[in-house]
Amino acid sequence: MKPRKTQIMLPALAGLALLSGCGQNDETAPVSEAASIELPNGMTVKEQIEARQAQLKKIGKAFKTISDQLKAGTPDLAEIQAAAAIVPKETADMADWFPEGTGPDAGVKTEALPIIWESKTDFNDKVVALQEAAAKLETVAQGGDVTEIASAFKTTGGTCKACHDKYRLDD
Amino acid sequence: MTGNPARILVWDWAIRLIHWLMVILVPLLWWTAEEGHMEWHKSFGLTMFGLVLFRLLWGLIGTWTARFVPMVQRIGSLPSYLAELRAQGYHPTFGHSPLAVLSVFALLLALTIQITTGLFSVDVDGLESGPLSIMVSFETGRQFAEIHEFNFNLLAALIGLHIAAIAIYRFVVKEKLVGPMLSGRRPSKDFAGEQLPENRMRPIRMIAATIIALACTLALANFG
Repeated sequence: MKPRKTQIMLPALAGLALLSGCGQNDETAPVSEAASIELPNGMTVKEQIEARQAQLKKIGKAFKTISDQLKAGTPDLAEIQAAAAIVPKETADMADWFPEGTGPDAGVKTEALPIIWESKTDFNDKVVALQEAAAKLETVAQGGDVTEIASAFKTTGGTCKACHDKYRLDD
Repeated sequence: MTGNPARILVWDWAIRLIHWLMVILVPLLWWTAEEGHMEWHKSFGLTMFGLVLFRLLWGLIGTWTARFVPMVQRIGSLPSYLAELRAQGYHPTFGHSPLAVLSVFALLLALTIQITTGLFSVDVDGLESGPLSIMVSFETGRQFAEIHEFNFNLLAALIGLHIAAIAIYRFVVKEKLVGPMLSGRRPSKDFAGEQLPENRMRPIRMIAATIIALACTLALANFG
């Protein structure tokens, strides 16, 4: 047997396994000229991508607030109502967040998949589905029935997932 | 069986049960996370929480081979253990070998980090979250989720190392380690002439550890 060899090999193997594990998240996109191209709406590609990411984050935060309150023994309706109002407001112009040229080719870190621009009709339908579900969630939240809120919240979350499953990079 | 003096108990049944349940749970946890079956992921995660908590308690009050203090004390003999391995003078250790102690501590640490971060994790959409995530902001919850994801790679690497080590012992050192992990026992002659510590299972301690682990798990399940 050659235990000396194994002792060197094992940490090396572990190191390799680690490296391959982290590698996926460490892709540093080269700074591209595409990122600074100005779009018809006046924003650069980079600004557009970052703006929509900021918007989506606001929605994520609002969802967490609702989710937390629904988990709580006695949900704070005012908090749910405030968070539910954010979603329709912040998603009103969502269909405009994805102009041509703001896909992964732009060289800006984005999880938006190129298939968005190949199936824009379906993509926009899914945006409308979210907007409708979010509007209903806001209405139901104003009504104050926790069971109904939970159900409307689930439906709204489903419209997010429907789009993300197809059009967002699975990390 | 207990009546057979030719075979001595090394791993008590609680240790073995926990070990093999973890072997089943880790792939299930990985798969449910990959496929987005988050309700299942949370249930399996809470089960894993209970197992790890029990194991940590068992490291304090369990059988001798499960306890952490004797394991730490064994690390000192790591150089002589490695020297024996090199000289092809391997002989079985009662309980964890000095090398295995390091492996077990690393695995338990990775599991503990994995479970703790999972409790506070929030997904990118704010739709799915761990039972304690209500205590943290969206941003903090996202950071916990990032660590949760990164640490899984560490855990997977350690599990890979663990399996590789067992294969090396099996084929290079010619030592079968899986059998004793199933039966709990080894031939008494493996330790002939050694003064062995008492390794008896104490039912009251067993019940105490189970109740604490179960109570904490249920409390978490009800919290969120």
